[in-house]
Amino acid sequence: MTIYGWTGKMLRIDLTRKKITTIDTMRYARMYIGGVGIAARIAWEEIGPEIGPFDPENRLIIMVGPLTGTLASGACRVEVLGVAPQQHPPCFSRSGMGGHWGPELKYAGFDGIIIQGRAEEPVYIWIDDGDVEILSAEDIWGLGTYATTKDLRSIHGDDVRVISCGPAGENLCRIAIIQTETDNAAAQGGFGAVMGSKNLKAIAVHGSGGVKIARPKEFLDLCLKQSTEGRSPYGPRSLREIDISGTNFRRHKCGFCLSVCSGMLWMDIQGEFLPVPYTTEQMCYGFNVTSERGRIEARALVSNYGINGWEVSYGIIPWLQLCRQHNLIKEIDGMEIPAPDKPIRYLRDCAPVTPEFLAMLLRKIAYREGPIGDALADGACYAADRLFEGKGKPLLDRIYPRHAGQVEHWAGHWGPGGNIYWPMWLTTVLQWCVDTRDPASDTSHSWTSHVQRYLPKIGSYRGPIPPERIREISMKVYGDPNVLDPSVEYDPPEARAIPAIWHTDMGMVVDSLILCDNEYPRIFSSTSKDGMADIDLMAKIFSACTGVDVSMNELMKAGERIFNLLRAIDVRNYGRSRRIDESTIDVGFNYPGKDDCKMLDKQKFLKLLEKYYELRGWNKDSGWPTREKLEELGLKDVADELERIGRIG
Amino acid sequence: MISEFKVQRSGVIIFDEKRCVECRECEVACSLFHEGECNPSLSRIQIIFDDFIPRFPLAVVCKQCDWPACYYACLSLHENPAIYIDERTGARVIDENKCLGCGACARACPLMPEKPVIKHKVVNGRRVYFKCDLCKDREGGPVCVEICPSGALKYVSAIQRRGMK
Repeated sequence: MTIYGWTGKMLRIDLTRKKITTIDTMRYARMYIGGVGIAARIAWEEIGPEIGPFDPENRLIIMVGPLTGTLASGACRVEVLGVAPQQHPPCFSRSGMGGHWGPELKYAGFDGIIIQGRAEEPVYIWIDDGDVEILSAEDIWGLGTYATTKDLRSIHGDDVRVISCGPAGENLCRIAIIQTETDNAAAQGGFGAVMGSKNLKAIAVHGSGGVKIARPKEFLDLCLKQSTEGRSPYGPRSLREIDISGTNFRRHKCGFCLSVCSGMLWMDIQGEFLPVPYTTEQMCYGFNVTSERGRIEARALVSNYGINGWEVSYGIIPWLQLCRQHNLIKEIDGMEIPAPDKPIRYLRDCAPVTPEFLAMLLRKIAYREGPIGDALADGACYAADRLFEGKGKPLLDRIYPRHAGQVEHWAGHWGPGGNIYWPMWLTTVLQWCVDTRDPASDTSHSWTSHVQRYLPKIGSYRGPIPPERIREISMKVYGDPNVLDPSVEYDPPEARAIPAIWHTDMGMVVDSLILCDNEYPRIFSSTSKDGMADIDLMAKIFSACTGVDVSMNELMKAGERIFNLLRAIDVRNYGRSRRIDESTIDVGFNYPGKDDCKMLDKQKFLKLLEKYYELRGWNKDSGWPTREKLEELGLKDVADELERIGRIG
Repeated sequence: MISEFKVQRSGVIIFDEKRCVECRECEVACSLFHEGECNPSLSRIQIIFDDFIPRFPLAVVCKQCDWPACYYACLSLHENPAIYIDERTGARVIDENKCLGCGACARACPLMPEKPVIKHKVVNGRRVYFKCDLCKDREGGPVCVEICPSGALKYVSAIQRRGMK
């Protein structure tokens, strides 16, 4: 039988035994779709609590999904999973990236790669359609990600796509990333260091196959329709509307996507005023630097060293400035750490750094230079354990909820990501409480940067949907009229708990198909008559692609299954519980929101958390999934295992 | 025979390198429309770029020449030629059912020898050549132009090109 969408095969590469085998994707696809879903199942079966991030037995699971490499907008993305060293303490987590590597892997004939073991000597993996080889990386070990990519292209051909770790990954920096080309990286989690620990420098892919589509005409029409649904009520609806006259920038998207977001490739094209050889202006983060050129150059440095720029820009540098204000440190290598005169309460209060300071800092991190560089290479949370006799630890509170290793993101407090307003951030805080990574990635981008912007009046937003329509749409989408009503705060608790669950489960679907969390799910449209997007669109696209006809409810059920499985891994391996969930609030959110000065009321918030557990079908006291819920989701074996270790809800 | 060498002017797809965002959706849409699968290697258009080479992207797609060497080659070699001129768009089109897979058209084409605009594939064990046909029977015109998110690809019809020397 022809398989549509999926390629039907995943690779398992054991670097210790130099053994390459394939796994039948379809064994997992019905229950777990692909991407994060299949990876979660594999992790449940193969990653036990005893496995640390740098153990050879840790799995580096690099996944694409049934929609990867198709015309569906955002179909370029890759999900990377494994025990994540950046997490504090390490736990099984995930990170995603765009670019052209994912589709290439799909065209080479694979739905994912599971890497285990540790090579004796540095190696890279070369995949040329069905042929897979483990080759010596002796000549490229030590190089930056840019040179690695260029070298592998000179060996294997110009059209080869590469992911690699830089010096930071080789040096097991816990904030090392997996980089592809100039502009995309799986940055959160430290998976570059997992590559480094396996002596794996890079994976180069060339694929000349395609993705078979069950109903091509319908699929094409759906994708064309999707491209005309305005995602944001503000700004251009399409890249076609952007005036580029008088500019000489090369524009560059992360690929296989129709959305409005696009970076510019800063290159030495004639007439260009920036002298940097190549780096891309990414959408999601930036450095606060005293020089614009310095800012652009720093981006090239983080990509080439393979460092998590988000963590450096929004975590490490602000934490150093806080330490400076508290007289724990004044300078590094004779270079003064800049700090503002007034106390740092939010990210926006931080002082810009000089380009020379930033260049020095990034080098020290990548190469673990000196005691400071060695400590900061693991991110601020690990550094705070080691430096200044632990006196810097309380200063992490504003930046890192639960000191879990990742910076607050779209939760309305510290500041990176964007503006999310009261009471909408109650939902992202809830998501943060129960997840293993910063929530506003896959789980809540659509809530924060899509849904919120359509509301009639919230913060600085004046969306186009009239208030009376909002409650109606809310009822239709979430089954509760209060969800989209900003005048509803803690009560009824469903108003904030339902979207936390809805967007998390949707996020799991998006990460398993895999599409872009910046594109899906869509609720509103700036071009449709009634202001609503086609909520079933993802299910329609999936059905037309794979020929497996599903409703949006069935996809959501799969998303719920996947998140419950991730929770089960977290509970079984790392003892995740309500106590840990709650500690997010204690550490990270005991100060007012940055845009609305609203304080979290702990007692009221706990009611939301309890409602969340209840709606999830998890035990309210322990935060553990119940047998009923797991069995309903077809996860009886998971329930049995949790019961065996006494952690069933 | 001589009269057959005089052909009507075709419409053409034009490319604005500064608008292109290098997303490759044109390649995917093209292969999806023509071949029923998403497969850039079966696309009739290709965007060439390298993050590490400082130049704007290139689009490799048939220019629908006024004096099409591919068409002449096919016409000269075969009694029942596979290439014909589409009346509505003027596209120089390969009829896959008639193509014998000789490759004379591809060899005759002067465009981008290292990245050909006339490629071949195997259909039911038979080698056939394929090239851009401007999606001649498609209601909305060329699918790559319609999908292009940045407006880098545009379609200029034969009528719009009238009077061009």
